[in-house]
Amino acid sequence: MTAETDTTALERRDVVALDDVTYGYPGGPNVIEGLSLGLAPGEIVCVVGPSGCGKTTLLTMLAGLAKPRSGAVRWSPDPAKPARHPLTMMFQKDTLLPWMTTEDNISLHFRLSGTQLRRADKAGRIADLVELAGLKGAEKKYPYQLSGGMRRRVAFLAAVASRPRVLLLDEPFSALDEPTRIAIHQDIFDIVKSQGISVVLVTHDIGEAVSLADRIIVLTARPGTIYATHHTPFGEQRDITRIRQHPDFLSLYARLWEQLEVQVDSARKSSSSFDPDLGPHAEDGGPR
Amino acid sequence: MSVGRRSAVLACQVLLTAAMLLAWQYLPKVGWLSSRSHLFDPYFVSSPTQVAKALHDLAVGANGSPKIWPFLWRTMSASILGASIGMILGAAAGLVLSNSPFVSAVVRPFVVAANATPRVTLIPVIVIIAGTSLTASVIIGVLVVFFVAFFNAYEGGTSIAPQIIDNAKLLGANNWRVLRYIRLPYVMAWTFAGLPLAITFSVISVVTGELLDGYPGMGQLIATATSTGQSTLTFATTFILAVVGLAIVILSDQARDRVLHWWGK
Repeated sequence: MTAETDTTALERRDVVALDDVTYGYPGGPNVIEGLSLGLAPGEIVCVVGPSGCGKTTLLTMLAGLAKPRSGAVRWSPDPAKPARHPLTMMFQKDTLLPWMTTEDNISLHFRLSGTQLRRADKAGRIADLVELAGLKGAEKKYPYQLSGGMRRRVAFLAAVASRPRVLLLDEPFSALDEPTRIAIHQDIFDIVKSQGISVVLVTHDIGEAVSLADRIIVLTARPGTIYATHHTPFGEQRDITRIRQHPDFLSLYARLWEQLEVQVDSARKSSSSFDPDLGPHAEDGGPR
Repeated sequence: MSVGRRSAVLACQVLLTAAMLLAWQYLPKVGWLSSRSHLFDPYFVSSPTQVAKALHDLAVGANGSPKIWPFLWRTMSASILGASIGMILGAAAGLVLSNSPFVSAVVRPFVVAANATPRVTLIPVIVIIAGTSLTASVIIGVLVVFFVAFFNAYEGGTSIAPQIIDNAKLLGANNWRVLRYIRLPYVMAWTFAGLPLAITFSVISVVTGELLDGYPGMGQLIATATSTGQSTLTFATTFILAVVGLAIVILSDQARDRVLHWWGK
């Protein structure tokens, strides 16, 4: 499999699509080059690739936090009435407000967007989410009273409480230990699928990508573009723990490793000219 | 710390205090020492028993001593007013500047220069404008506290992690709501964290003002005592200021921890 352009992007009624985008930091080389990627309604797309290949940049462009040098981000009109909140993002670093309780952090969208929602409806929705994500009993706690895994759950709920059309996840669980991470995966998957939210997940964790994704995109070394696309066969109902022993999981896992190794090697070879990890603001996940 | 260790520390502290008081009381009685240094001359250093008696006289207004309370009240009310106004103004300025890189770039050099200016030198100017009054004392307190509060507030407003602002915008916040729901709480928290320091600074500057302008607070009492050679009264007044200052710091520490409990450890 070689570089593949997703030309079907807008024909498929994608929610949002990157259309032949190129991106670079001001005065620097291209980080992403000629990348096209569409996101179908309710689809989970996972993006993997070597460090510095522009995975996070891809998300910041979708979020409108960074403007591409060329190409465009195209949104399809929202068929829902009233229109849904277009997009939220769960960042790699903590975004919980320390003076707010779990409940208040989760319902932050309503306060920040000025969305008028009947008090009872809002409370009901928050309560449902809290229940689904296993945070019952932590509603009145402050972030400093929560474990790392619980904080991530709260941040996730804050991102989905508005039931956005698109959710971007930027390596959201990379700081968690593996059992905690896998436990969260199941809840994330169930909530996202039941709410009909389209997801782009950037991750370093291949197991995470294979177990959650409908489609996996492998990016090339910088400048990043699509190197390979894989569709997973696991469907809309998944038992994440079980999937991890499935033969298809294991073969896809191995296949992704091979492809990533090729790209990591190629990144290493070109790193004599520049360090792919050290783009401006690389730590913050994009330009501001 | 274990209980045993804590009581050992306490015991040592009591012993140390006792030793210092005894030294203060009895060393000046050694003629050989007091004739050689002012440090051991009872006229200059007084003694714990005299200070204790002066404290009693000040409390009840006995033996020709003035009652301390009106003096203390004037100083403390000016200090607390000065600290409050200074913190509110400082927080507001910090909020505005941290919210706008442009305004911040324009104003910051002036702020730094103003902060480097010794405000004590402005006291005569303030007295000319406001007279020897409570207003003058409060302005002096405000001038000092404002900068303490401002720098804290500005730091709070600019230290917000970029992803928190981005997150708020993606959740649907316009600039006003980012200011109202994100930046303002950060600024208030950081300003409030400086409460004990602000009050301490306020007391110091108000007393300094009274020393210079003669407004009848604790500072004026010290000025009078010093100029008439009453070292006992000077020590007694200073002691009262220290005790009240300590109480205020403890109270404001507790208020801060209570309000900012969510800050965690």
